[in-house]
Order: sequence, then C-alpha cells, then structure tokens
Amino acid sequence: MNWREKVLDFDNIGDRGEGLKGLVFDVQKFAIHDGGGIRTNVFLKGCPLQCLWCSNPESLASKPEITFVTNNCIGCGKCLEVCPAGAIRQGETAGEDIIIDRERCTLCGQCAKHCYAGAINIIGRYVSVPELMQIIERDRKFYEQSGGGVTFSGGEPTAQPEFLKAALAEIQKRGIHTAIETSSLLPWEIYAPILEHVDLVLTDIKHMDDAEHKRLTGVSNQLILDNIRKISSLGIPVKIRLPLIPGINDSDRNLEATAEFVEQLSNVQSLDILPYHRLGEMKYRQLDISYPLKGVESPTVEHVEERIRALRERGLNISVGG
Amino acid sequence: MSTKAKVNPAVATQGPTERVEKIKARFLATTPEICAERAKLITESYKETEGLPMTTRRAKALEKILMGMSIYIEDDELIVGNQCSMPRSAPVYPEFSCEWLEAELDRLAKRTADVFLISEDVKNTLRKDVFPYWKGKTNQEIATALMKQEAIDAGNAVVYTVGNYYFNGVGHISANYGKVMSQGLNAVIAEAEAAKAKFDYADAHQMKSLHFLESTITANKAVIAFANRYADEAERLAAVQKDAARKAELLEIARICRKVPAQPAETFQEAVQSFWFIHLVIQLESNGHSISPMRFDQYCYPFYAASKDSMPAEKAQELLDLMWLKLNGLNKVRDENSTMAFAGYPMFMNIIVGGVDREGKDATNELSLMLLQAAANTKLYAPSLSVRIHEGTADVLYMKAAEVSRMGLGVPAFFNDRTIIPALLSRGLTLEDARDYGIIGCVEPQVGGKTEGWHDAAFFNMAKVIELTLNNGYDKRTAMQVGPQTGAVTEMKSFDDVMAAYTKQMEYFVGLMCHADNMVDLAHGQNVPLPFLSSLVEDCIGRGKSLQEGGAIYNFSGPQGVGVANAGDALTAIKKLCFDEKVISLPELKEVLDKDFEGAENIRQMLVNRAPKYGNDDDYADEIAVESANIYCREVNKYHNPRGGQFQPGLYPASANVPFGGVVEATPDGRKKGTPLADGVSPIGGFDISGPTATVNSVAKLDHEVTSNGTLLNQKFHPNAVKGEEGLRNLIAVTETYFKNGGFHVQYNVIDRKTLEKAQEKPEEFASLVVRVAGYSAFFTALDKSLQDDIMSRTEQVF
Ligand code: SF4
Ligand code: SF4
Repeated sequence: MNWREKVLDFDNIGDRGEGLKGLVFDVQKFAIHDGGGIRTNVFLKGCPLQCLWCSNPESLASKPEITFVTNNCIGCGKCLEVCPAGAIRQGETAGEDIIIDRERCTLCGQCAKHCYAGAINIIGRYVSVPELMQIIERDRKFYEQSGGGVTFSGGEPTAQPEFLKAALAEIQKRGIHTAIETSSLLPWEIYAPILEHVDLVLTDIKHMDDAEHKRLTGVSNQLILDNIRKISSLGIPVKIRLPLIPGINDSDRNLEATAEFVEQLSNVQSLDILPYHRLGEMKYRQLDISYPLKGVESPTVEHVEERIRALRERGLNISVGG
Repeated sequence: MSTKAKVNPAVATQGPTERVEKIKARFLATTPEICAERAKLITESYKETEGLPMTTRRAKALEKILMGMSIYIEDDELIVGNQCSMPRSAPVYPEFSCEWLEAELDRLAKRTADVFLISEDVKNTLRKDVFPYWKGKTNQEIATALMKQEAIDAGNAVVYTVGNYYFNGVGHISANYGKVMSQGLNAVIAEAEAAKAKFDYADAHQMKSLHFLESTITANKAVIAFANRYADEAERLAAVQKDAARKAELLEIARICRKVPAQPAETFQEAVQSFWFIHLVIQLESNGHSISPMRFDQYCYPFYAASKDSMPAEKAQELLDLMWLKLNGLNKVRDENSTMAFAGYPMFMNIIVGGVDREGKDATNELSLMLLQAAANTKLYAPSLSVRIHEGTADVLYMKAAEVSRMGLGVPAFFNDRTIIPALLSRGLTLEDARDYGIIGCVEPQVGGKTEGWHDAAFFNMAKVIELTLNNGYDKRTAMQVGPQTGAVTEMKSFDDVMAAYTKQMEYFVGLMCHADNMVDLAHGQNVPLPFLSSLVEDCIGRGKSLQEGGAIYNFSGPQGVGVANAGDALTAIKKLCFDEKVISLPELKEVLDKDFEGAENIRQMLVNRAPKYGNDDDYADEIAVESANIYCREVNKYHNPRGGQFQPGLYPASANVPFGGVVEATPDGRKKGTPLADGVSPIGGFDISGPTATVNSVAKLDHEVTSNGTLLNQKFHPNAVKGEEGLRNLIAVTETYFKNGGFHVQYNVIDRKTLEKAQEKPEEFASLVVRVAGYSAFFTALDKSLQDDIMSRTEQVF
C-alpha cells in the first residue's frame, strides 16, 4: 500500500468505516526540513485555528473536501454525467469552468473518479494505523540511514488525538523517530498522553501579545505558552517555529518578546523562522474561498535577515526556512 | 559504515591556478573545426601498403600519422600533445566510415547540435584526396555486406541501432596505463619481441600472429618517436624563449618527452605526461569514444607519492587540472543522427576514484580527492568522473563527492561496489579483477587493461517493441512487416496473451540485433585491428592476437535497453485498465493510440493518472517494469560474440531516448507519438511524483546484477534540497540506501529549472553551463532544443 493507491480509491470517501481511523490529507516522503534527516510527513486534516496566512486551507475542515483545479480541466464533461446529486453544472458563459454546488454534494467521489485529468479531487482519506504503517515502513531504510523519521503535521494533528496517539505509539514501538508539528493549543490532559510518544515537538508561536494573537487566530495564546513551558519541563526537545508575516508579527517588540520567552525554556533546539509565502493563495481559489491576507507581499531575503538580526545577536540558534 | 579516513581532506582544497584559468578561457573561446590531416595521411599510407597484411598496414598508417601530423606546444602548457592541427578540432577516420561525412560535409557548420566549422580547403582535401579512395572499402560497408536483410530492416525501423561501432571505431576500453607509467613502452616492445619466439612461421595461422606482433613493435616505436617530436619542439621553443621561467618549463617538457613513454616514469609530471601520450595515441589510432582512464588514483598514486614532498601542493593539483583540460580538448565528429544519441561533443572518458583495492580494502587516497577537486576547478564536461562506493568508503571521500555533486556539474557519478563486484564475478572475472573494476563510458564496468567489452554494442528500443506487439509486428512508419506476426490485439484475451506476444517480439529482435552486432564485430577484426591499443591490453601479445580478434582476457558485447519505464508503464496500463478494471478494451485502446489520442485526451489522462506508474514504489507497476526488463535481459544473455565472449545487457540510454522516442507511435503509458522515452532506468519524467525515496525504492527492484553492462539512474535535485551539511548528508543517505538495496549507479543534477529556462533563452550568457545528460555531462547550450526540453522535464525533486 502506498499513498497514491489510497488517493486513487474514490469509493466511500465520506465514510469513516470501522475502527480507529485518521483523516489524512497528504503523505509526503523525503521531507527534509521538518525534524532532521529524511522523513515522511503525515498531514492530518482539520484545524481549530483560523490563521489568516494559512497556506494549507484544504487542511482546515475536519471532513473530506472537494476541490477543483481549473488548469487541469480538459472539458470532457464526464463529471456532469456521473454526479448522482446534480451538484455539478457547466458555467453559463462560453469557456467558463464547471461549477460545483458544495451544499448539494454528498462527497460520493464519482466525479473525481471519472475526472481523469485530475481537475476534480477529493482531499482527505480515512486511514487506519496499520495502513499508515505500511506507507511509513516503505522508507524505513532512509530514516535509518539519515537519522530521520516521521513527522505529523496538519491541519492540526492533535485535533485527532486518539488516532495521533495510536499512530505515534506504533511508530515509536517500531524504533522510528517521531515528531509532531503542532500549535500546542489543546488541554494538557489530552496533550500529555500524546507527548509520551513524541521524540521532538515542532511548535508555533504566532504572536506574544495575547490581544494580537486573538485577532490573528481567533484564540488566546495563554494555553499555548503554558503548554510549551510544560513540554520544556518534561525534557522533550522542541523546535519553536515563528511564521514571519510582514507588518503582522515582525515588529521589534514581538520578536524581542518571543526571544525572551524562548530563552526561559530549557529544551529548545532551534528557533525556526518561516518567512511568509503566498503559495497557498492558489489553493483558496480551488476551494472557492477568498484569500484573507490579500495584499501582503512575501518578504525578501534581505528583509527577513534585517528583522532577525537582533535574534541572532542574542545567541539564539536560528534557522530560516525550516 | 564509513571507516576512519587516513586521508587529509586539506590536500584537495587548491583552487585553479592562473595558468589553468588561462588555458580554460582559450578552450572556451574555440569553436571546434574539422581537421583533414589524419584523413590525408592515412589515405596515403593505405595506398602505399596495399597487399600487406591488414595489421601491418594499420601499424604503418599509425606511424605515418604520428610522424606527419602537425604538432605544437601552446603557451602555458605543461602537459603536451595535440590531437589535431588546431585545438579542440576533430580528425577524420575514413577507414571506419565516410559516406555520411561526404553527404553531410556542408551541413556540419549549420546543424543544430555539435556544430563543427570546416574550411573550404579542408572540404577540398577530403573530396579530392580522401573520399574517392575509400568507396567500398570502409568498415561500415563491409559490415553491411555481412548482415541479413531482416537485420537491416529492423535497424531502419529503429527497433535497435548498432550504429556506434558500425560507423566508428570501438573505443570503450581502458589500456594498461599503469604498466606504461611504471615500465615504459620499451618494455612492451621487449615483450612482443620475446613472444615472437613462441610462434612458428611455418604454420600459416601462427604466421598471422607473427605479423600482429611485428605490427605492435612498429606501432610502439612510432609512439616513442612521436613523443620525441615534442621534445624537439620544446627545445626549439626554449631556445627562442626570453622569459626564464617559461624557458625552464620548456626544457623540463623536453627532458620529459625524451624519457616517457619509452622509459618508466619517476616523477608525478612524468607519469601524467606518459599517461597523456598513451591516451592521445589510442584516440588517434582508433576513433572510438569512451576510452577511459579508469582508476587513475590507483595506478598514478606511487608517482604522486614519490613527488609529493618535493612539489608544492598547488603544483600537483595544477598538473591534474591541466590533464583535465587536455582531456576536454579531444574531440570527435559524428554523423548528424548520432549527435542526437550522443549530444554535446561527448567523449565519455571515465575516470573513477575510490572503491576497494584488489585485496578488498578501501582504496581512497589523496589523489582520489584531488581528482574530484580537478572537476570542481575546471568545471567542464569531460572527463566523466565517477566514485566507487563500498561498505567502508572513507567519509572524507563521500563528503567530497557530495560537495562536488552539489555544484551542479553532474559529476561525480556514484557506483556501487556491493552490486557491481558480484555482477562481474557472475560474468567470470576473478575476485581480484572484479574488485579492480573501473567504469567505461557512462556506466559500464570492466577490469581495465584486460577487457575488450564492446560495451556500447547497440541501443535497443524497448518502447518500439511495445508498439510492434500491438501492431502484430507491422511497422507503420516504414510500412513494413519487420517483426513476426504474434497476434492482432483483437485476439489477445488476457494480459498473459499480451505478455506472450511481447516476449516473442523481444526474442526475435534481440536475436537480430545480436546478429547485426556480430557482423560488425567480425568486420572490425578483419579490417581495422588496432596494434598499438592491442599491445596495451592483456593478453593480446601473449596470444598473438589483436583485441579485435579476441586477444583480450575478457570479451563481452553489451547492448542497452532504452525505455524500460515506458515499456513497463505501457504494459501496466494495459493490465490495469484493459484487463483488471476493464474500463477500456485493448482494441479500443489501440484505436486511440493509432490516432495519437486525437479527440481522446480524456483517455490519455486516464492512462496517465489512473494506472500505477513505475517510480513511485508501487509494486503493481514496478513488478511489471521489472519483468519487461528481465525479458530483454534473458534474451541478450543467450548470445555470444565472435571474440569468444558473452553478450551482457545494460539499461542506459546515453541520449538515445530522444531519437528513439521520435520513431515510436503513441504508447499506452500515455506518451504521445514522437516524444522522448524515459532515460535509463529512471521513471518517466513527471510521473515520479512520490519523491526521490520512492523512486530509489522502485528502481532498486530491478535486477542490477544481471544487467552487468550497467544501469543508469538520473536524479535531479533542486539546490534547496542539498543545502548545508545536512543537505550533503541527505544526498549521501539517498545514495547509500539505494546502494544497500542493490542499486548500481546514481548521479545527481543539482540545477534549478529556472536556470535552465534562462539558459535556453540566452545561450550566450550560459555558454559554460554544464549539465548531466545521461551518464555524461555536456554544455547545455550545445544540446539540441528537444534534448534541452527533455532534461528540463525530468522531475525536479524540490521539497
Ligand atoms: S462527489 Fe459531490 S459533486 Fe462529485 S459526483 Fe459525488 S455528489 Fe456530485
Ligand atoms: S471530468 Fe474533470 S476534466 Fe472533465 S469536465 Fe469535469 S472537471 Fe473537467
């Protein structure tokens, strides 16, 4: 079993089926920027936060979703023919794309199955731990050779705590290094049992100012900061990630506050600066969602360096680009 | 894994000297031309020697060329010896073939790839003094006369091409350079003299051996005299040289050229000069490409060690860099069709470092690292540089190799001792010889100085066999029934039926190809024996037989399958969609292919996106790819050549995947008519969407031992993926994992697509951009646009 095979299975997509399953929206191999060595990244779908700059909008909803990629459409009309719910229609004007009525769609998967050109896709598949292990095991030798492993990302992986815990436990049991990339926004009672099976935590600090944090993400940062302190006291290695958004969280004041916080922790391997990029913009279009951060430019390399100079001068271990 | 290295990496940190930069700049400013000197001299010699034994005529012709050609020593040079009357020019070898040259003479300067300038004078000389004599006498014409018509027809349909040795000399050899360095050619002459006593002149067959031995003596003496011409020239230049430093250099050159290659070398410079004369003359004698120095770090090490303390480190590196530049200066003109398969003026001279020694111990030494540094210093396309990797490869070597790899020159290529040594053992090499292997050309392993490997015997078009299987053996393009009738698609009721037909077609065409190869082989033995080269390969002197007649200890013929991924993915699509899921019937599919997908783009998309693809670690597709390759390999293994050796398959393309694709109809992998095939054992460009680890896992499923003539895996990385020390470690981890899983060879192109796009737009600005084509590197701008596009479309692994 590999991920591609799973993606090519279009039947019963919306149906979770029996047993413990996770909703996965992608599995990437040869991930080399997320936790050391050559890794497999497993992306779990669903996220409680609503960050304005999110580059994976398809990861937000906790259910499979239908997407449409205009460029791939060859106008064969198959999707119109097969949709049992009558949820797809041809655009009115000539040359216009097809239009999907997401309210009516039952996620039966038939349109995607017959859209050979890959214009219509259903994002998200329910995967069991044994299935996931088959995919992960394929690259075991690479992990061993490079000191790599498996990283769970999202969405927000902890939003599926039971599945995440079970998967991590199984991976660790088989001697493979585990990491999670998380917002750390969850009650400690749920977080702690997950952390028992984690070798490295990659966690975001989006803003140190609580009011700003609320404005940008819809939630307070208190729980997040508390959790990070607790992880540190447990002795689990942490990489702090700072998505750097021009004009939003790159002020001297916020960077200084972030640095001060990081300096109080004991197990921080590095502070990873992730400069904002707009690669996600296209995906919003495919989901018919408007892009919330319109007008913000990606920062130049020089700008990023200028902004973080003070952090480097403090002697923090900084990496740019994650 | 890696053992502690004794080698200090600091030895290989010398950048290029001013001298090296100057000579390189001169090289880059030179456009290749055609030189008629060799052609004129050999034609005169052949006229003088009619009626003599062929081997004698060949030796006398070589003598005439070496004595009569223009020689010169350029400013700043320390290593001397030129191939033509002008730098970077190509000589003409009319004895192999010249009909094509006569026909294409006026196009050489105008063609799209591998342009050669040619003066009117040179054209006149060739037309008047050369071409007329060779009508009906070239090796190509003689080989054609030996071939069955069916074999010629299948060749015309481009099911295979035996064109390489059909039009050219064989090359693909590594002489015993080390022996010349340590013993000198005088020792070779003495050996030939001694061997004469073994043969009885009263016996007609043995008399042939005596003629052969005499000819090796003539040839070796001519090479010594050739070196002395350079000594004279250096003395002449020294006499008029005002600059004291240069004068001293010239006198040193003169001293060295009087001494080597006749006598044993003692210093490092003497060894490099000795090597260069030998390499140059082999090229002048034979016209083959892929004449490979192989394990230079091993056989030259004693001389480096002897000079190391008396020579500044930068001088040693400079000599290697200068040798690199000399190797780039060698050139060859090919017919226009062949430039499609061998684009970018390649000579495929392979130098390999590292690996184990004959006793099985790690062989890394300082020279290993310095040769990698020479590639970094010169940044040119030749020679092909390779690294042998084994269990105990020194970490310094691995890291240095990864660093040079990251520079984006496409070198070095990595080779796996753990697969190749057993593969060679299975072909009958002794354990010591197998451990001592080097690489010829792109990826072909052999032991140097003992082997006539015929490694590039033919290219075989596996995708064409798919087409012919679906067309019952009928070739639409040439409108001929070239293959056997193995059943119409309407009669194929199961996937097994399809495989059975494919297998039968394969049997038939592989048989014809081996026949065609053997006829070319016979012709070489009769018409173009190479006495000088033969004298430097064991055991030609002992057996009294030229290389071309089976004088070497090991003899092979190696034809390459091209388009494994296309054949595999085509069969996979048929199995999955026509038989497993029955979404389209085979006759329906054939109809769509016949129309080149016109009006059926959705079917093409289905073939592309709904059938599993080789290269994604998907067993369904990978197993079929492996089987389709094995069918080819099993057939090739059945045949023998006239030199008493075996055929052995390889799976690599040079750049033949582009012209081969040009003659193949649309295929069930979703490939449109006329577009390139996948290169080597690499997946189809753009289909390997699961990342390099999946690709490597897939490719490792092939049997890389039975393909003992070599397999080739190209991986392209974006510079981001190999950034920093961690990036180097990841590159090593990918290599190491592939090799632990049984891989054979891998090479990396570390260049981003944007750079290539810019180079396509503004070739002038990217004149020195070197890229990996397939098993060799070339200037990107010297390649035909279709090949440029092909390189750009190979999936770039960015993460
Ligand atoms: S997935 Fe939705 S849009 Fe597609 S065929 Fe089913 S109901 Fe129609
Ligand atoms: S099936 Fe796909 S390609 Fe065909 S019209 Fe619908 S979206 Fe476009």
